[in-house]
Amino acid sequence: MSGHRVAAITRRLLQGFRRDRRTLALLFVAPLVILGLLGYLIRGSSSSPAVGIANEDQGQLGAMFASALERSSLINASTIQASDGGAKLKDGSLVAYIVFPADFSSRAQAGTIAPEVHLEGSQPGTSAPVLQALQQALTSVAATGPVHFEPQVHYLYGGQGFDTLDYFGAAFIGLVVFFLVFVITIVAFLNERSQGTLERLMASPLRRGEIVLGYMLGFTVLALIQSAEVLVFSLAVLKVHNQGNVILIFGIEALMALTAVNLGIFLSMFARTEFQAVQFIPLVIVPQVLLSGILFPVSTEPRPLQVVSDVLPLTYAVNGLRDVMVKGADLTWASLELDAGVVAGFCVLLIVAGVATLRRRIA
Amino acid sequence: MAEAFAVDIEGVHKKFGELRALDGVNLHIKTGEIYGFLGPNGAGKTTLIRSIVGLVAPDAGTVTVLGRRMPDVDNLRNVGYMTQQAALYPGLSVEENVQFFAAINGAEEQDVTDALKLVRLDDRRTSVVATLSGGMRQRCSLACALVHKPKLLLLDEPTVGVDPQLRVQFWDDFRRMAASGTTIIVSSHVMDEAERCQRLGLIQYGKVLAEGSPNEVRALAGTNNLEEAFLRLAGAKAS
Repeated sequence: MSGHRVAAITRRLLQGFRRDRRTLALLFVAPLVILGLLGYLIRGSSSSPAVGIANEDQGQLGAMFASALERSSLINASTIQASDGGAKLKDGSLVAYIVFPADFSSRAQAGTIAPEVHLEGSQPGTSAPVLQALQQALTSVAATGPVHFEPQVHYLYGGQGFDTLDYFGAAFIGLVVFFLVFVITIVAFLNERSQGTLERLMASPLRRGEIVLGYMLGFTVLALIQSAEVLVFSLAVLKVHNQGNVILIFGIEALMALTAVNLGIFLSMFARTEFQAVQFIPLVIVPQVLLSGILFPVSTEPRPLQVVSDVLPLTYAVNGLRDVMVKGADLTWASLELDAGVVAGFCVLLIVAGVATLRRRIA
Repeated sequence: MAEAFAVDIEGVHKKFGELRALDGVNLHIKTGEIYGFLGPNGAGKTTLIRSIVGLVAPDAGTVTVLGRRMPDVDNLRNVGYMTQQAALYPGLSVEENVQFFAAINGAEEQDVTDALKLVRLDDRRTSVVATLSGGMRQRCSLACALVHKPKLLLLDEPTVGVDPQLRVQFWDDFRRMAASGTTIIVSSHVMDEAERCQRLGLIQYGKVLAEGSPNEVRALAGTNNLEEAFLRLAGAKAS
């Protein structure tokens, strides 16, 4: 193994990227666009779901509920006639309407609080805030009665301000780095083959390990810069919730990037054209996005899929990032040691696989 | 002690599926000579060159380069290989490409300057390869192959896309390098190039049909024209 030759490959790789503005943009601008868009989607929403309130109650309670709902920031409440509700749900002007029937107060006195909630139902995401607003209204109304309902809520992790972006953000930091580094590595390594330079390298004194190491170091430099950029943007601009050590988050990101680089090198051996290389994206990236716990917790997956999740590197990286950022985990946590260890193990395995499959001989 | 033969190929066979790419090839190429592999496209010239650098594993037979049985990675520091396609990094400058191949072959910065002067690209050293003409790319590719001053230089169709004036200069340089002890193997299907080689191997269907100097090959076929000689010899073997 010659350090001089490894350095030559790393230097050559970085020199190539220096003039390749499109790839540089994919590496350093695309992550900001993706994460920025995600942040804006989740936190930038200006309109709350429109909900109609029809108060037919002959007692006082219906009016108290209606008033509490109108004050709620979760929904945009307006007064309607119960008879118009169905038509408004169908034409899309309302996502729900709530009716407080004539006997609402009298039934409440008998022990049953029974508002009628009519949901449009085709978009689960808009139904949840309606039910949440109704619960808040119940709490608010209960607080005005003789019995004060004041739950003392304590969060182990997260907190009252913890939102969807905080949950997804931690995972997306790892995903964005993994995805973009993988795509660029596999295509760049394949270029080496298609432009004939790999044949030239193989007809030189270079060892296979030197080629893989040189590539790995070159891409790692780029991936680390990208990881740092993604981290700073997520924490400073998007204000993604973080309870943990920033160096630890960066460490997990770096491990992810290294894994992606080596996965890209390894899989490039099985593609002959860039088109074939791109076909690996749905095969490699999409299952990991679905099964690594980014969108759905692994523990809620059907058992056979959990087995698959358990052998995906992204599962451990996402879990580790969430543990650090959401729960404030450090390396004294056994779960984080496991996550970091497994990702590092994948990385070593892929380096060995990459070196082993890089064939010197064409046939 | 210098080896008598720079390249010694003994009974090499290679099949790709049903295709016999090399069919019992025996060749003995002397140190310091310019040897030409002459044959039509698909004759097996490139496979033969690849087997010399160890990129193709023969099914049978042996390839010995500079006294060492191939494949031998360490021996490749003595070999320069210019592929048929001008295999370069298009996003790098001419100088950066040559510097890279110099670095992986253990050559010095002065060797880069020498190689660029030899191929007359020293005034274009900062030009990005993607912006060069086909001929210039060939010259840059040649510089990458010879920057480390190899003892054996393999050139697969080296003058494709090179203008006639530069082609003459290239051959002057090849002769000078051969005179200083470098063995040069050139593959070509152009008769004009074949005339410039000291010895030729006429290759078709993965076999060496005839071997000798251009004059010997012409005499063997009973004609004064090398192209005619090739066609006669190929026809005789086929029948």
